[in-house]
Amino acid sequence: MSSLTATTARRAATGSRRLPRLSPYLFIAPFFAVFAAFGVYPLVYALRLSFTRWRGAGEATWVGVGNYVYLLTNPDFWASLGNSAVMWLLIVPVQVVAGLGAAVLLANARLRLRGLFRVAFIAPFVTPLVAMAQVWIVVFDEDYGLVNHVLGLVGLPAVGWLTSTAWAKPTLALLFLWKTTGFAIIILLAGLQAVPGAVYEAASIDGASRWRQFWSLTVPLVRRSIAFLVVVQTLAVFQMFAEPYVVTEGGPYGSTTTAGLYLYDHISASDLGTGAANSFLLVLLVFGLSLGAVRLLRPKDEVS
Amino acid sequence: MSTPAMARRGFLKGALGIGALAAAGACAPGGGTSAAPSKLAKPTVSASTSAKGEITIWNRSGDLFKVFDAAIGKFREAYPGVKVNHLAVDIDAKLANTLISGTDVPDGSFWDDAKIGGQSEHLYDLTDLIAPYRDKVAPYKLSVNTVGGKIFGVPWDLDPGLLWYREDILQDAGVDPAGIGTYDDLLTAARTIKEKDPKTKPIHLDKNPFLGQLWLEMLANQQGTSLADAQGKLRLESPEYRRTLGWIQDAVKGDLVTHAPYLEAADINTLDSGQQVFVPWAIWWSFAPQQLLKATKGKWRAAPLPAWTPGGARSGAMGGSSFVIPAKAKNPELAWLLYEFLCFTEPGCTAVYGPNSIYPGGLSTSVPSFTPALKADKPLFKPIDALGGQDLWKVAVEAAATIPAAAPIPVWWAQSVDYLGDNVQRLIEGKMSPDDVIAESAKKIQRNLIDRA
Repeated sequence: MSSLTATTARRAATGSRRLPRLSPYLFIAPFFAVFAAFGVYPLVYALRLSFTRWRGAGEATWVGVGNYVYLLTNPDFWASLGNSAVMWLLIVPVQVVAGLGAAVLLANARLRLRGLFRVAFIAPFVTPLVAMAQVWIVVFDEDYGLVNHVLGLVGLPAVGWLTSTAWAKPTLALLFLWKTTGFAIIILLAGLQAVPGAVYEAASIDGASRWRQFWSLTVPLVRRSIAFLVVVQTLAVFQMFAEPYVVTEGGPYGSTTTAGLYLYDHISASDLGTGAANSFLLVLLVFGLSLGAVRLLRPKDEVS
Repeated sequence: MSTPAMARRGFLKGALGIGALAAAGACAPGGGTSAAPSKLAKPTVSASTSAKGEITIWNRSGDLFKVFDAAIGKFREAYPGVKVNHLAVDIDAKLANTLISGTDVPDGSFWDDAKIGGQSEHLYDLTDLIAPYRDKVAPYKLSVNTVGGKIFGVPWDLDPGLLWYREDILQDAGVDPAGIGTYDDLLTAARTIKEKDPKTKPIHLDKNPFLGQLWLEMLANQQGTSLADAQGKLRLESPEYRRTLGWIQDAVKGDLVTHAPYLEAADINTLDSGQQVFVPWAIWWSFAPQQLLKATKGKWRAAPLPAWTPGGARSGAMGGSSFVIPAKAKNPELAWLLYEFLCFTEPGCTAVYGPNSIYPGGLSTSVPSFTPALKADKPLFKPIDALGGQDLWKVAVEAAATIPAAAPIPVWWAQSVDYLGDNVQRLIEGKMSPDDVIAESAKKIQRNLIDRA
């Protein structure tokens, strides 16, 4: 009887020791299960798919690196990257400068109607993109758009904003800027508000002008926010899909076929292997660009 | 108390290792699907009273959905045991993905003819079911629904190309529409009109690359050819395409062209202003005078297209849709019964095309591809007031009878718009010659699409 009790007690002790050892893993297991199902599995699936030719039915044909070679030797693929790169140049630097300027203004407690301005800047960010894309189509119509109407009033010729290869990209970039600059302002405003006011007080006492304070204090102190913004917007620009899909369908003459839209073209044509390969090439590219941006914008103390 | 670091790493490594192995093994694309498309046999229950069950049918939204909804009501009168869940769906965005994923697949769906070939692996082979109707379906529709000798779509509408013209302007210029027998005659008529009113740019050429290519294919079909032959071989390099592109270039050089996007503001305004006089386009352009044009409503008429050579075919098909039954449909036999009713029976065709609450005069944007329904003296839709009371049915049916057969539409057709469609636009803008269009498009289509199909 006593022996049985001792054995039970030992088992109970072993069990209670095991449970605390396992419990952390049990707590994190749901995350890993979900991550494995919706993160790892699709990634491995897509990677394997990128080495095959498969249209969604039947047996997939193993083509090795054929899809990658096809893309890397295809001028259309490089043209789509070129289009995205131009869009990046038209969007990200402008957005950082404009966003920072607006954030500095909005951070100023003495600014009148500050709440109204904040709402005005954020409103486009929460407006459905497709609805705004339709507005863009109407406003920038070559023949009957508002913009060309205004140009006509001052004697300027009509511009093919969405129908000429020269103007289609800037017009789409403007839509993207209009839509997402509110988001940039939120990020930069958060960064600005984390800067202690005492820093500016000290600079003022030392006689630093407002411009000097902006350039030598504000910009370095929100560098992390800027780096974050650049990375996030680089991802967004290279994945840009809805804007060209709705407004220009990638035209005219492929001039607004972004990397994201070019990838979609493979998927919509059921060329799933090429689409998957395109995805991985895009991931590598965006990863490299983001890494470069982070390194470039890393605060000096971190570099040292 | 902390767990030793090694144990934690070991756990993670083990979990990831097992996960990766499992994922790699399970991630083989296409592992669980059959390579050969399923063949749909004749339903065992064809008697209207014994057919029982429920089907989900996808259709486009808009007025056409309402038309089919009413027609499905007629089907249910004939097959009271079949419940039809008729859904308006963005088919272009959803059907291909649904077929590939195999989730919530409908029992049947409306689809563009141009897209059926690209997804035939996911569709029932309907060859045997359609066999009794083969001789009663427009040859063009059979050919575009055929892939590798098998039929994958139930042919629905036929969209003959017609020459839409402004009757009043032709009268003023002394041009007899009946005298426009060839495309050269059309250029001559356009020059005559332009001489009388230099502001006109009489012939519509479309600015949308996709529609522009669809239009080019109509002109090719009229000449008995198409972008690819039955074996999928490109045949862009041909006298027919060269002739067509040369004609476009002549029209452009003669300043006879209004280059505008299909029924967008610029197009509608120049149609209504009298700048455009001729619109060689599919029957579905009839929508414009009925719904969009204001100043010129009632002044437009339809005639058969001019021929490319004297005595040649007076029409070609432009676009069109059919019905497909996915290989993973739960009740394919019942879906077939529905489509058989709509496409191959007199009550079905009448229910779709005849006068109804949505279109009191009937559906006049296409005609059935079921030839027994195509009788000039038995119109399904009424003469159209917006066309000055013209009997469009008669014109369309007579034109449709001349449409030559075609080859199956290749799986890469829609993607080829990035090359051929764009280059046709360049031709219209004077940036390319017909030879350049052919050479440049053929090179890219061959390399990027055919070699990889």
